[in-house]
Amino acid sequence: MAKYVIKRLIGIIPILFLVSIFIFLFVHLIPGDAARLVAGQDATLQDVELVRKELGLDQPIYKQYFSFITGVFQGDLGTSIKTGRPVFDEIAMRFMPTFWLTFWSMIWAVIVGLVIGVISATKRNKWQDYLGMFVAVSGISMPSFWLGLLLIQLFAVQLGWLPTGGLESWKSYILPSITLGSGVAAVVARFSRSSMMDILKDDYIRTGRAKGLNEHKVVWGHGLKNAMIPVVTMTGLQFGFLLGGSVVIETVFSWPGLGRLLIDSVAFRDYPVIQSEMLLFALEFILINLIVDLIYGFLNPQIRYD
Amino acid sequence: MKRNLYRLVALFLIVGFVLIGCSNKTSNDGSESKDAVAQETVKKEGKDITIAVAANFVSLDPHDTNDTLSGSAEKTMMEGLVGFDKDMNVVPVLAKDYSVNDDATEFVFELQEGVKFHDGAPFNAEAVKVNLDRLTDPDSTLIRSSLFELIKETEVVDEYTVKVTLSEPFGAMINTFAHPAGMLISPKALEEYGDDVSQHPVGTGPYVFKEWQPGDHLTMTKNEDYWRATGNEADSITFKPTPENGTRVAMLQTGEADFIYPVPTEQAEEIDGKDGIVVENEASIVVRYLAMNNLKKPFDDKRVRQAVNYAINKEAFTQVVMNGFASPMDSIIAPNTQFYSKQTPYEFDLEKAKELLTEAGYENGFKATIWGANSSTTMKAMEFIQQQLAQINVELEVVPMETGTLSDSIWSVEDPKDAEIEMYYGGWSPSTGDADWGIRPLVGGENAYPPKSYNTAYYNNKEVNKLIADGLATGDPAAREKAYADAQEKIWEDAPWAFLVVDDTIFGKKNYLEGIYLLPDGSLSLENMKIVE
Repeated sequence: MAKYVIKRLIGIIPILFLVSIFIFLFVHLIPGDAARLVAGQDATLQDVELVRKELGLDQPIYKQYFSFITGVFQGDLGTSIKTGRPVFDEIAMRFMPTFWLTFWSMIWAVIVGLVIGVISATKRNKWQDYLGMFVAVSGISMPSFWLGLLLIQLFAVQLGWLPTGGLESWKSYILPSITLGSGVAAVVARFSRSSMMDILKDDYIRTGRAKGLNEHKVVWGHGLKNAMIPVVTMTGLQFGFLLGGSVVIETVFSWPGLGRLLIDSVAFRDYPVIQSEMLLFALEFILINLIVDLIYGFLNPQIRYD
Repeated sequence: MKRNLYRLVALFLIVGFVLIGCSNKTSNDGSESKDAVAQETVKKEGKDITIAVAANFVSLDPHDTNDTLSGSAEKTMMEGLVGFDKDMNVVPVLAKDYSVNDDATEFVFELQEGVKFHDGAPFNAEAVKVNLDRLTDPDSTLIRSSLFELIKETEVVDEYTVKVTLSEPFGAMINTFAHPAGMLISPKALEEYGDDVSQHPVGTGPYVFKEWQPGDHLTMTKNEDYWRATGNEADSITFKPTPENGTRVAMLQTGEADFIYPVPTEQAEEIDGKDGIVVENEASIVVRYLAMNNLKKPFDDKRVRQAVNYAINKEAFTQVVMNGFASPMDSIIAPNTQFYSKQTPYEFDLEKAKELLTEAGYENGFKATIWGANSSTTMKAMEFIQQQLAQINVELEVVPMETGTLSDSIWSVEDPKDAEIEMYYGGWSPSTGDADWGIRPLVGGENAYPPKSYNTAYYNNKEVNKLIADGLATGDPAAREKAYADAQEKIWEDAPWAFLVVDDTIFGKKNYLEGIYLLPDGSLSLENMKIVE
């Protein structure tokens, strides 16, 4: 097991290296001249050239990549074109707010989603099922910025219970995490419903029932664990996406997180920040995949790691 | 099964009613109290003021700043030799007085005495010299260096007198000193932090820098030793970048913000006069225009360009696109820009437009593309123009582009003949408030063609070029006024653009705040802010 984890971790390095080349080319292929954007609206050509030189954007692209990647290996992600601060600081400052927001959103979304999914599966075609799936469909189809603004209007403006945005206390987490999690909860509900329905047809469930186990234990004790496998995969993916910062939600709630940083950076063609952030997202996905694989083993001991 | 269906329908109805209930409430309130003055003054707890703004701050080094928003924050902490008053007139600030010689090459400033920077460094002629030398250093990579590149020498005459000599006449220089880029930083801080001074701003202003968490907040506290007596009562100011319009408005409604700008035009009327909110708007110096490539057919014909001007209903543009928060342009620069001179408007007249097109040989109209940014307001503007020009058989293809792509398409062109641009919807704010910066970069002949500058209309008129040069060659306001008046008349007649509107600045505040406002250039002034009970 430990050997497996170490092997996987070492495998990350070449993957990240390849990813970094793609990211670098991709970022530099986006049309738009960073130097002109940095120099600003009323800059003269002379200013623009000055900025270009200062930022090293006048160098051939392979040289720029080389200095980027050597920097990464030395733990130096470069300096932000826009603010002139170290990229590492810029990202570090925004990482935790996004991480905790994602974490709390996932916690409630998975719990609520599972409960709805399992109840819907066991009460198939009854009103509980309709209600659950109605909520799930709403959760998926409601645009998150609209839901966010609606929640702000209701809980901040009308009732005055919660802040409209920013990050000041635990209360600041409530509205954005509801908004962010609603989509995930809906997906989890749908996945766990169909997965659970398949499981409930299986022989061992019938055997359990025949043995006289009570229904509660059959469903929550035996069925759920197996039904979880596809749900875990999907949840892992969602977690990866959300960690990348939900741009829309961070904008609506003025959240000082990675999503907003990315949007600002793209608008500014702040190459060092875009590159580093995307590299971080790739790393997050790879790590989450590893964790998902490990959870499989826990859920189904038949899966062996070699 | 049937019962389940009923339940489902009932559920839909309940949710529906809840939603309708929410929206009804707002619209009812809207018709109740319209009069903002009649509202009771809301009570303010404490004296800490929060201001929600639309974007993040980029830098706090005025010499290296090109966005108005960062400039606004800097202005609370720093000051220049001269500055702008509410109407963009140049007024003395850290200079008690100043004089300019006849050919606008020598500027002598008499400085305020006894002023100190926040870190205790004395403000004197030497401090001014350090700042101007920083800006004019040939190795400088500061973005704003180019504004000051004509400075040949800065001399310390005595402790409180500074003389600045230019390498050539530049009549608009005093406005450059009043520009936010001319604000002065403590020489001690410059030495201590170098270029990192952008994160440690130290000036002489009414507020002292406290902390800056990019993307979250920027806070400054009151300068208890401020050299000027002001009625300013706030203990601290916190700026919160809040990009989403709806959230910014909500913050003002809940009292989380005391002041917000800009207020989205769509919501301005809805919130004005409720919850102790006052929305105010004033004419800015930002112009919105439709540049036509004067080197390309059919826009190489003046009559076609004039026809386009006659065919667009600017009043309707103001209402439809700007929700009424703008006014039609009547010169290439806005009325609050120095040396503005009013022209006779191109009234909306389709017959005249068609006539002019026929004269020019385009009686069946023509096809063209219009470029612009992909923001919702810009798209609305372009679609409006498309619809208007369709009335004279001009068929426009609207091409919205993301900012970077757009600037690439326009400014990567080396040879004007290769320029693909036909029509371009753009905006311009002459940040020095002077006619020169509202005219020269935009229509100043070949020297302003992209990529050198912003002459997206590729307009080149020798007479105009000469008038622009005349305006710069003297420091005499009367002579400058004459030159710019003639230039404006000529440009108006030539119609390199379809002249559209001048934006309003628009902000919302709680009614206990007084003396805080936006200047026509969109920057914030809060040094005389009062909190009324």
